Amino acid sequence: MKKDYILKINHLKKSFGQHEVLKDIDLDIENGEVLTIIGSSGSGKSTLLRCLNLLEEPTSGQIIYQQQNILDPNFDRIQYRAKVGMVFQQFNLFNNLNVLDNCIVAQTTVLKKDRDSAKKAALKQLERVGMAPYVKAKPAQLSGGQKQRVAIARSLAMSPDLILFDEPTSALDPEMVDGILDIMKDLAHTGLTMILVTHEMGFARDVSDHVVFMDNGVIAEKGTAEKIFGEPENPRTQEFLKRYLNRI
Amino acid sequence: MHLRKYLLMLSISILAGILLIFSVFPTEKAAAAKKDDKVFLVGMEANYPPFNWTQQNKKHGAVPIQGSNLYANGYDVQIAKKIAKKLGKRVVVVKTEWDGLLPALTSKKIDAIIAGMTPTPEREKTIDFTKPYYNSKQIIVVNKNSKYAKAKTLSDFKGAKLTAQLSTVQYSLIKQIKGVIKEPAMKDFASMRVALESKTIDGYVAELPEGLSMAVADPNATYVELSGKKGFKLNSTESQEAIGLRKNDPNETKINQILSGISLKTRTKLMHDAVLNQPQATTQGNWFINIWKQYGNMLLRGIGMTLLLSIVGTVVGFIIGLLIGIVRTIPKAKKRPRRYLINFVNWLLSVYIEIFRGTPMIVQAAVFYYGAAQAFNINLDRTTSALIIVSINTGAYLAEIIRGGIISIDQGQFEAASALGMTHFQQMEKIVLPQAVRNSIPAVTNEFIVNIKDTSVLSIISVSELFFTGSTIAGQNFQFFHTYLTISLIYLVLTFTITRIFRMIEKHLDGPKNYDLMTNEFQVDTPKIGSEKEE
Ligand SMILES: Nc1ncnc2c1ncn2[C@@H]1O[C@H](COP(=O)(O)OP(=O)(O)O)[C@@H](O)[C@H]1O
Ligand SMILES: [Mg+2]
Repeated sequence: MKKDYILKINHLKKSFGQHEVLKDIDLDIENGEVLTIIGSSGSGKSTLLRCLNLLEEPTSGQIIYQQQNILDPNFDRIQYRAKVGMVFQQFNLFNNLNVLDNCIVAQTTVLKKDRDSAKKAALKQLERVGMAPYVKAKPAQLSGGQKQRVAIARSLAMSPDLILFDEPTSALDPEMVDGILDIMKDLAHTGLTMILVTHEMGFARDVSDHVVFMDNGVIAEKGTAEKIFGEPENPRTQEFLKRYLNRI
Repeated sequence: MHLRKYLLMLSISILAGILLIFSVFPTEKAAAAKKDDKVFLVGMEANYPPFNWTQQNKKHGAVPIQGSNLYANGYDVQIAKKIAKKLGKRVVVVKTEWDGLLPALTSKKIDAIIAGMTPTPEREKTIDFTKPYYNSKQIIVVNKNSKYAKAKTLSDFKGAKLTAQLSTVQYSLIKQIKGVIKEPAMKDFASMRVALESKTIDGYVAELPEGLSMAVADPNATYVELSGKKGFKLNSTESQEAIGLRKNDPNETKINQILSGISLKTRTKLMHDAVLNQPQATTQGNWFINIWKQYGNMLLRGIGMTLLLSIVGTVVGFIIGLLIGIVRTIPKAKKRPRRYLINFVNWLLSVYIEIFRGTPMIVQAAVFYYGAAQAFNINLDRTTSALIIVSINTGAYLAEIIRGGIISIDQGQFEAASALGMTHFQQMEKIVLPQAVRNSIPAVTNEFIVNIKDTSVLSIISVSELFFTGSTIAGQNFQFFHTYLTISLIYLVLTFTITRIFRMIEKHLDGPKNYDLMTNEFQVDTPKIGSEKEE
């Protein structure tokens, strides 16, 4: 049976000036899968993720979504971004809005929903992440873990096809990490497509369908979670994982 | 969401305030709107008794002052009336600061200067003068109990601190006294009288009528008249007053004929009456209550004008600043023509900002009001001009403040909004501007307060805001300290109130410090996922 891909990345390149950060990336993401990207700092993981929702403009290559290249000048980027959520390491909640409005604002402006149904969707997602009691709080009044929950609810409220997570737990105090990982684990089971950059190797092994190891702007190795964590082929992958496992 | 509501409320209350203030000035617009042929517009300070002063009623044949319900009277006014009568016109006085008189005439804001002005060669380069309508003497006003009160010759003023009004013949005479300490020239007579009273100067050079006035009005003042060889050396024209007219004014011959018809006897009589009729200080009772009783309406109107200027200036300036701040932070466009356009607009805007931040508002006001009339024949009334100047001046300051507010917003806010699919303008409207505006409130408050005080420089175009009103009152009651003390108090109350109001707005925008947990209100049938270890 032919596989159903949500995104197909072909020959993607990205340079900052002379510095080529992504070197010819080819990667296909299946509908409903959890894909984890690992790799050392500076290897281009964030840049790849940011290219996927066009926060960075790729230098060349193709990203195919629903048979269209999203880099095409005529492509409707707004609708695409509404369907591709992003959760940041630094949360990036809107500081001027309370928790509820953080989850409503894009629904009403981008999806043109009326406020009542937007509010309903927002509350549903806030409930899911355990933040419903905090609807009236401003971001500055929340802990890091609480902020990240709201940020996840904000993405979910847009009913996205795909959510990109860029190190969602790296800025958290250690005791808050598990709460977020649990939420993500449950999300993975709902069949939502997720692309995830993380250094939480245990978690990655548990939830990922596929794992990609990035090294210096290229995909050094790709495989199932069992294969990458169990019997990695590439010596760089082995070295990277050894360093990580020793540390834990 | 909140911010919008408050901005709306704020703008409504401000609009209401403006309407209220406008209703206090019913005559202002009407008078400025039309310029009819039957009116002889005469420029004077209306603050230089006995030549000219301001009063609140028509007594002793006073004439109305344009754009107010005050009246002007004095020797100059009486002369003006005699001329206007023969010309078949009626006199309306345009109360103008001394330095504003020449530009007001050349830019056709007035038809003549009758303000105790001496024809000097410099002035004759730009305007014409008629024959003199008053022959004066140069005197020095001093304190009665100072040693200079007994001076007999100019050399007795050795070591004295003297001054005179800026750009007058009198000021240039001071250098004839050997060993004198020449103080910087002052803007008007009210300032010199205050300086004399407070002994920061020992005296000021003026013309005889000022001495006569002061001797009547201020029991502590007297004047020294030095005649012949012991006095100042000057050309005969230098102690004459003449009427200033635009070059080639067709009425010049006619006016000279009229002046020749006014005999020396009539002139002396007119001056005598003027000295008697000039406003006198009330010294009985509490000075503060007296000032309010006598000049309460004027003060209120001055406050109204100051508030109108500063409120409109700040609000419109804020809107200008906001628009410019937005335009200047538009991200670089990809398409060439659009990018060039944006670059060009940005360049224009930065020129605007540099010019208006880099020059004093007093200069801007004079250039705009008199310059526009002179160069392009645009005749705006002075309140409108003042409002425009304050607004674009404030706009230039706030544009940079708001731009700073926008670029200081964390990049993550933009990225999160973009990632959700919001357009640049949606991001601006919903996320960035509310934060930038909130952060700029302290600066806007500051600008507002600066405006309340700095609109006083608009007296250069004769806008009767609070300070101008204060000088007028001080010129009438000769109670300089008390009047300026009252004015300072009013300024203080205004700025203090405004600071408090903006504090309240800030607090409202920030919302409560603590939030309530919503426990039962929103129950949605979704299984709760994820643990809550962090709580
Ligand atoms: N805006 C930028 N300008 C220049 N260089 C950048 C920019 N963003 C990232 N880089 C560079 O690209 C490389 C990859 O960065 P990144 O994708 O953030 O790595 P990772 O997320 O894997 O740690 C790094 O060398 C980084 O310095
Ligand atoms: Mg990164």
